Amino acid sequence: MTDAAGAVGAFRPETYKDPELVAQLSARIAELAAEIGRPVKLMHICGTHEHEIGRFALRDLLPESVTVLAGPGCPVCVCDNEYINMAIQLSLTPGVILCSFGDMLAVPGSIPLEGERRGDVRMSLLDARARGGDVRAVYSVFDAKRIAEQNPDKEVVFFSVGFETTVVAVAAMLKRGAPDNLSIIEANYYTPPATSLLPELDGFDIEGFMLPGHAVTITGLRVYEHLAERGIACAAGGFEPVDVMSAVVSLLEQLRDGKPTVANPYQRLVKYDGNEKAKRELDEVFELAPIRWRGIAEIPASGYWLREAYARYSAARRFAGRLDPVALRGAEHPKGCRCAEVTLGQIRPDACGVFGKLCTPDSPYGPCMVSHEGTCRAWYVYGMHKERLQVEAA
Amino acid sequence: MARPDGGVQNAQRSAGGEARAESAERTKLVSRYDSIRLSHGSGGKLTLELIEDLFVSVFSNEPLRELTDAAIVENLGGRIAFATDSHTVKPAFFPGGDIGRLAVAGTVNDLAVMGARPAYMTAAFLLEEGYDMGELERVVRSMKATADEAGVAIVAGDTKVLERGHGDGVFINTTGIGFVPDGVQLGVAHVRPGDKVLVNGTLGDHGIAVMSRREGLELGVELESDVAPLNGLIEQILQVAPAVRFMRDITRGGLAAVANEVVLRQPYGLRVFDVAVPIHDVVEQYSEMLGIDPLLAANEGKVLVIVAPEQAEAALGAMKAHPLGREAAIIGDIVRKPEGVALVETAYGTRRVLEMPIEEQLPRIC
Repeated sequence: MTDAAGAVGAFRPETYKDPELVAQLSARIAELAAEIGRPVKLMHICGTHEHEIGRFALRDLLPESVTVLAGPGCPVCVCDNEYINMAIQLSLTPGVILCSFGDMLAVPGSIPLEGERRGDVRMSLLDARARGGDVRAVYSVFDAKRIAEQNPDKEVVFFSVGFETTVVAVAAMLKRGAPDNLSIIEANYYTPPATSLLPELDGFDIEGFMLPGHAVTITGLRVYEHLAERGIACAAGGFEPVDVMSAVVSLLEQLRDGKPTVANPYQRLVKYDGNEKAKRELDEVFELAPIRWRGIAEIPASGYWLREAYARYSAARRFAGRLDPVALRGAEHPKGCRCAEVTLGQIRPDACGVFGKLCTPDSPYGPCMVSHEGTCRAWYVYGMHKERLQVEAA
Repeated sequence: MARPDGGVQNAQRSAGGEARAESAERTKLVSRYDSIRLSHGSGGKLTLELIEDLFVSVFSNEPLRELTDAAIVENLGGRIAFATDSHTVKPAFFPGGDIGRLAVAGTVNDLAVMGARPAYMTAAFLLEEGYDMGELERVVRSMKATADEAGVAIVAGDTKVLERGHGDGVFINTTGIGFVPDGVQLGVAHVRPGDKVLVNGTLGDHGIAVMSRREGLELGVELESDVAPLNGLIEQILQVAPAVRFMRDITRGGLAAVANEVVLRQPYGLRVFDVAVPIHDVVEQYSEMLGIDPLLAANEGKVLVIVAPEQAEAALGAMKAHPLGREAAIIGDIVRKPEGVALVETAYGTRRVLEMPIEEQLPRIC
C-alpha cells in the first residue's frame, strides 16, 4: 500500500514535506471545493495539527470556501482546573515533589493569585514554585519515576495530563512496577466521547473531522465510526504538510461523493484497530470514567481512572485527607476569557476581547494561550490572525 | 607590553582547547586545594594564592601581573566599544565547549558585531563554596585559549565566593573593550528595503547540543556547540563588504529574537526564506521529534549580517572562505511591507509571522 506521498516501507520524512506534492494536493483541494460548490467547514481535534498548520501557514493553500477549524485538541486546555488546583496544593505540601510536563506549569487553575493587580488572575504551578513549592518539569512519567527512586523519603506526584498517547506510557510504567512513593494525578482524557458530544451543540455545522494521528495510532479508527454513521466525514491526519493536505483531500472527496466514512490517509502509522498491545495495557491499568473537560462539560466515559488494582498510585486517594476540597473548586475560566468557545471551534481566537492584549504568551490569561498545543497560542505565535500576510519587496 | 592586535591572528575553531588544558601542567593551587573555600573570596592569603597561582599564571599578561586595583592599558585610539555579559550554563561543560569559552566568546562577539576590534577584557568569577578546583582550572584555561584565539588579553578580574547552596558552581562575568575603526557605522537605522540577510552557518547547534547533554538524550551523532569568537570572521566580512548595515550575534532566542530586534519599531520588515536557512541534520531531526523550532534555538558562534544587495555576494564569499562560515547563506531580505514584522516564507510559498520567542524552549506533551 502507498499513501499520497507514494512512499512504501522506510519512512522518509522529507517526502512528506515535498513542496511539489503539497502544490498538487492544494490544486486537488481547489478542484474538489469547486465540485462541492458550497462552503465547507472541517475540524481537526489535535493541538499539534493547529501548530503545524500555523508553522507552514497551510490555511493559505486552501480555497476561501474550505475552512479548517481547531477543535478540542489540547490536553492542557481541557484539563479541568480541579486537577490544576490539586497539583498546586500538593506542590505546596511539605515533603512532596510535584512533577509536571513543562506545558502545564504556567496554566492557571482557579485559586486567586494574591497581590496580583491585573484583574482576575489565578495561581499556576509556576506561582506555586515561586512560593516555595517543589515543582519540577519532566519530559515523561519515567523521569518522575527516577525522581521517586532518588528521593525515597519524599512523596513524588506526577501530574498525568494528556490524551490516549500520553496515558499509554503511564500504564506501561505502572504495570512494570512503580516505587511506593510515586503517585499520579489522574487528568487523562479519552478523545472519542468528546467528538460525539460536539454534534449535539447548537449551531454545529462541521462536515468533517481530521482525526488526531497520534491518538488514533493507539485507539484505531473504529471508535470514530459513529461519526460517519451520523453523516460526518472522517480522515486520519498525520502531521507533515503532505499528511494534513491529504486528509483534507480525503474529507472533501467523501463530501463530494456524499459518502461519509472513516478514511485512513495516514496509513504509514495508523491501523484500523490501532495498537492492540497498547490498548491491552491501557485497559489493564485504567478504566473509563466521567471527567470534566474544562469549559465544556462533564463527559461520560471520557477520562482514564486507575483500576482498583492500581488505586494505590492515585494521588487523589493518597492525599484525600490533606487536600482542601473547597479550594479545588472554582470558576472555570477567568472573566473575559473565551477559551471555552475557542476550544469548541465556535469562535476564532481573535474574536476574544483579551486575545493579544491582556492575554499573550508571555502573560497568558487563559489556558489556550499557555499551552504550545493551545489554539490561541498557535494563532498568536504564527500570526494566523494576520491572514494571507502580504509582502511588498523593495 | 605587546598590544593585542584586535584578533586577526587566529580564528580557527579551538575544539582542542579543552584537550590542551588537560595536558598542561597543573597549577600549584590545584595541587594544594581540591575545592573552593569561603576564604578564597575573603580577600586574604587564600584569595591572593587563587589570583596569583591560577588567574595570573594562566591568563599571563603584564597589566594583570602587576596586581594593581585597575589595569592600565594603551590608548586604543578613536571610538571605543564597551560591552559586558554574565554567563551561567548547565552543564558547565558541554559538547564543543564550556562556560569559559562561552564567557570569552560572548563578550568578544558583542564587541565584534559593532564593528569593533576587541582588545582587552576583565573577568569576574562568582564561585560556590566547594566548587571543584580542577574544574575551575579547566574553565580558566579554556578562557585563556579562547582569548588567545580572539587576540584579546584578560587584564583584570575579581573573585567572590558564595556560601554552599547559594550559587551554581561557577558564574562568570566578562567585560570587554575594543576600538572601532574609522568609517564603520552599523545600526538598524542604516538598514534599507532590498538589503540581504546572511548568517554564517547552521542555526540551533548550541541550543540542541546543550539540551541533549542536560537531558541525557541520545542523538546518535555527536553534535557540538558552535561557541566561538567571531571577530576574525567579522573583520574579513567588513574588509570586502563595507556596506554592511547591521550585525548581531545570534544567541539565546535564536534567529527569531534577532530578526524581531531588527524590525522593532522600524519602517520595514524582515523576510526569512525557510528553505535557505542552514540547519544541521541532527538539529532538524531532534527539533521535529520534540516540537522545538530551530529558528528559536540558541547559538553561540553565529552572526546575522544585513548588507546592501550589491555587496551580498562578496560578504557571502568572505564568510565561506573563513573556517567559521563555511555553511554561510543568504537567508532572506528586508522588505517594505509589512512594517515592523519578521516573517518566514515557507517552502510552499505561504507566509507566517516569526514571533519573538517567549520563554525557554521546552518539549511539548505530545
